[in-house]
Amino acid sequence: MLTTLTPVVFYRDPIAAMRFLEAAFGFETTALVTDKEGRVGHAMMKVGESEIGIGQEWASAELLGPASLKSPVSLGGAGSQFIRVQMSEGLDAHHERARAAGATITQAPADQFYGDRTYRALDPEGHVWNFAQTVATPTDAEMEKVSGLTFKTSL
Amino acid sequence: MSDFKRPSITSGVSYRDPKAALTWLEQEFGFEPMMVVVNEDGTIGHSEMRFGDSMIFVGHEYDAKHKSPASLDGVNTQSLHLQVDSGLDALFERAKKAGAKVLREPADQFYGERSAMVADPEGHTWSFGQVIKAMSFDEMAKAGGHQEIRERL
Repeated sequence: MLTTLTPVVFYRDPIAAMRFLEAAFGFETTALVTDKEGRVGHAMMKVGESEIGIGQEWASAELLGPASLKSPVSLGGAGSQFIRVQMSEGLDAHHERARAAGATITQAPADQFYGDRTYRALDPEGHVWNFAQTVATPTDAEMEKVSGLTFKTSL
Repeated sequence: MSDFKRPSITSGVSYRDPKAALTWLEQEFGFEPMMVVVNEDGTIGHSEMRFGDSMIFVGHEYDAKHKSPASLDGVNTQSLHLQVDSGLDALFERAKKAGAKVLREPADQFYGERSAMVADPEGHTWSFGQVIKAMSFDEMAKAGGHQEIRERL
């Protein structure tokens, strides 16, 4: 069975969010479904070789039944997921672009013990984005030594 | 995981009980465990699971910005969509039997896909999709009564 997993990210104002994601993070819109009132029914953006979905907060019970999907703006900044974006190059330039475009940087670019250089940012509605670029490939034993953690491949 | 290429996008999914989530996702959704990072006190610091070419992080409630739907009255700020090329109904039945809450029974949609939606034990929303008829954007827009489906903002 061939499968792919796509996160769908919910916003109060999805069009404004997509403009931000294009300008700040360089994502590319690939599909935009609007209804007769111009509201976003569904949208997709390309991120590297992957895709994310963009959705509007659901108020309409008949669309999704009891599912409740909201922006962090509506939950005091809390989110049920964050998104990790793995980049092949250009992490620091990406950070500069995001900052200049108004992203809230919650962690400046820094090398991590597990071999990635990362930075963290919030988009205007408070979703957490974690950008990473691999700069070294330490073994599990090396990572355990510097971090004091234990690495396993299953529970 | 040596032959596994990390995708550009990975969802980090927050759970109150990540150990239970790791077990449930493996047994009921068929996710494959790849990495579990255990803190000195035995709690899970980070974990990674694979599903086809995709992966997720299963984590705990790190701080006020990272919460399980179980701590948010069932609300999700992101959902997870699994696109399969076969077996959608079987996947749905398996999840339902394992205690997933049914949000939408499998049904054919106007855009040429069959879809279903469930919530896992902590309330994360999972949708399933499988193409049953390939359609152009114009055909979808006409069938769905949408103003327009286009490729750009």
